[in-house]
Amino acid sequence: MTLTNMRITPKGRFTFRGGVHPPESKTFSQQGEIQPVPAGKQVSIMLCQHIGAVCQPTVKKNDAVQAGQKIGDSDAFVSAPVHSPVNGKVKEIGLRSHSVLGRSPAVVIEADAENNPLKQPTFGRFTNDFDADGFSIEQICSAVRDAGLVGMGGAGFPTRVKIEPNPRLPKKTMIINGCECEPYITCDYRIMLEWTNQIIAGIKLAKKTSGCSEVLIAIEDNKPKAIEVMNSALESCTNTDGIKVVCVKTKYPQGGERQLIKAILGKNVPTGGIPPAIGVVVLNVATTAAIAEAVVLNQPLTHRVVTVTGEGINRTGNYYVPIGMTVEELVNHCGGLAEDAIRVVLGGPMMGIAVADLTKPVTKTTGAITVLTEKQVGWGKLAEHRNRTACIHCGRCLQACPEHLNPTIIAHAVRKNLLDKAKDYYINACIECGCCSYACPANIELTGHIKTGKILLAKRKND
Amino acid sequence: MPDSNITVSSAPHISRPLSTRKIMIDVIIGLMPAMAAAGYYFRIYAVILIAVCVVSAVVTEWLCNLIRKKPNSLGDFSAVVTGIILALSLPPGLPAWAAIIGSSFAIAIGKMVFGGLGANIFNPAMVGRTFLTACFGVLMTTWMVPATVDPAMPKIAADNTLPITQATPLAFSKQAIKTASGADVANKQLKATFTGQVGGCLGETSAMALLAGGLYLFIRRTISIHIPLAALVSAFAFAAVFNLINPDVYISPLMHLTSGAMLLGVFFIATDPVTAPLTMRGMWIFGIGVGLIIMLIRIVGEYPEGVMYAVLLMNAVTPLIDRLCKRVPAGGRPSVS
Repeated sequence: MTLTNMRITPKGRFTFRGGVHPPESKTFSQQGEIQPVPAGKQVSIMLCQHIGAVCQPTVKKNDAVQAGQKIGDSDAFVSAPVHSPVNGKVKEIGLRSHSVLGRSPAVVIEADAENNPLKQPTFGRFTNDFDADGFSIEQICSAVRDAGLVGMGGAGFPTRVKIEPNPRLPKKTMIINGCECEPYITCDYRIMLEWTNQIIAGIKLAKKTSGCSEVLIAIEDNKPKAIEVMNSALESCTNTDGIKVVCVKTKYPQGGERQLIKAILGKNVPTGGIPPAIGVVVLNVATTAAIAEAVVLNQPLTHRVVTVTGEGINRTGNYYVPIGMTVEELVNHCGGLAEDAIRVVLGGPMMGIAVADLTKPVTKTTGAITVLTEKQVGWGKLAEHRNRTACIHCGRCLQACPEHLNPTIIAHAVRKNLLDKAKDYYINACIECGCCSYACPANIELTGHIKTGKILLAKRKND
Repeated sequence: MPDSNITVSSAPHISRPLSTRKIMIDVIIGLMPAMAAAGYYFRIYAVILIAVCVVSAVVTEWLCNLIRKKPNSLGDFSAVVTGIILALSLPPGLPAWAAIIGSSFAIAIGKMVFGGLGANIFNPAMVGRTFLTACFGVLMTTWMVPATVDPAMPKIAADNTLPITQATPLAFSKQAIKTASGADVANKQLKATFTGQVGGCLGETSAMALLAGGLYLFIRRTISIHIPLAALVSAFAFAAVFNLINPDVYISPLMHLTSGAMLLGVFFIATDPVTAPLTMRGMWIFGIGVGLIIMLIRIVGEYPEGVMYAVLLMNAVTPLIDRLCKRVPAGGRPSVS
């Protein structure tokens, strides 16, 4: 055991160049224990909740479904099946509003009113002497695939593709991402505090499958309690060789995988490349917990922890929510929106997607619902101070960009429809973290313009 | 459900509480020590010049927006900054009518014809000053003696036909170069140039006040240190080489840094974000360019002072610098584009 001589740095030393320091605003929900939420009358399971091929429904209208039953799947390699979180009956297979993709196919299930026990988190079924030896690599991979696991930090990349051994790109280091750099969100924090043994079990399984020799659990230094809990759990658990906690600096976007790899390992993931290209795999803590649940308990990904937070909601907290529940039901469960709520964001305020239609369902990648008021969004009384001016070339967006791009020139090129110029300035290397817009004194929506440019470029390529 | 209040926009949904106006206010605060020094040394002349320049700059911007049928842009305070900087770079004795012409020209031709804030190529205050220099050469080179100088003290003026004027230290330096001797006379004024008790433009005389203002802007991170540092170091090096070659002819490099518009220029004029490069590498190049051109004009050229032309020349090449200093993404250039 090398853990005894491990030191916790009180201040994280590891970081990357660029980034911003938005107010953390985690106090709204960081004390809230994860509480299970019952499903409503019906749930809408989107058939595409991940990066990759869209699932085809495997059930028909009026079919009876069980909780955990597979209701959509795809033959494609990069894809993940979806499952029903409730017992009930398929009411409809049709289009539902998706926060990113617009209207896209979904399976709507009417929940059985009598026979639907509240699903509790499964962390109590994991002990500190968990051993991954009882599971073969093939077994783990297929269980992860069948459970429909995707990266729960936000990107939604199918987990099986990430952790499966690949002889062409051998993996050496696994980083478990517990940074949670996005303001407001606390779901990963609560998972680390409450589901510690389950996370470590998941890490052991992922470590075995991927063949990594080293596992680094990255936590920002604004979460000392999580660092302490993870460290003491690692000490009490068996077979934790090569797993250690790394304390990183609190900075946004520290939890972006490219930034995290740069901070901890000092290596840059090549532009346009993925972490396995340099032998690294990054998993979110919630994903590792789900791996343990899928492999050991054979339970598919039907529920996830969602932080409901912000100044504009009456009751904040962290909830264990059935995937497919609508934002509206969850918001109502939390006492509804406050009078002055002005923006409902799926995700955190930096990268989350603002929704006007609250009937959108929670998906596998929805980590939070952040409700903001005028004061945070900077409207109303503050409007005169937040007036948009022309770009004054101050260069703050350049200093803030964690990918070392030139946001103002790219955004300007997109506005003038000079897509080739935007491409010349590496628009596709943008990770859409929002730092440039955050830092802009002229209040220009740089990130919005750049996202538009990326979409236009992709469209042009396809045409 | 108060659904109707819900708005949407592109992420991020929060923003740093910083605005263009706050940056401009910071610059104005940074200019306060220099304005105070100007008021101390030139009394009522300073008050009149600053007031006249600011008011005419603001009125011109308002009129331009009216003519262009554009929304009012006075709220960003950039016209006030231009007015103050122009006033500080004018000779104290300049008549108010000339200042009005210069300030209006600075805003109308220096800024608004390009499309307003952010679109101008050249620093508006320097455009206005260049215009005045071209039109009223004599007025623009008549330097008043600070009010704090004891009238009984012997004037070190080259041209003392007028009792209230004196030559600036840089005019002395030029004369020393021409006559190949007498640099030490100018060097003796180092203390005076530091406090500001010398002839010169309204806001440029007191190195102390300008350093304090520059330091404030740097601490507030309103300006980055690259441009001032690069300009000062390159100017110092250039002056030091000449000073070492012949100390009788060329004044000391410290003297060069503290006198003339050097500090006003590098801290407040060259750092104007609109007309300076975006990238860090570009800022180094820009700063070095400014420093070298200032010293070239001062030592080799015909004029005693060159800050104005140095800044304008470097402004002209800023787009080129920005194009040459393209940032490389963190992950390197993509192998396939």
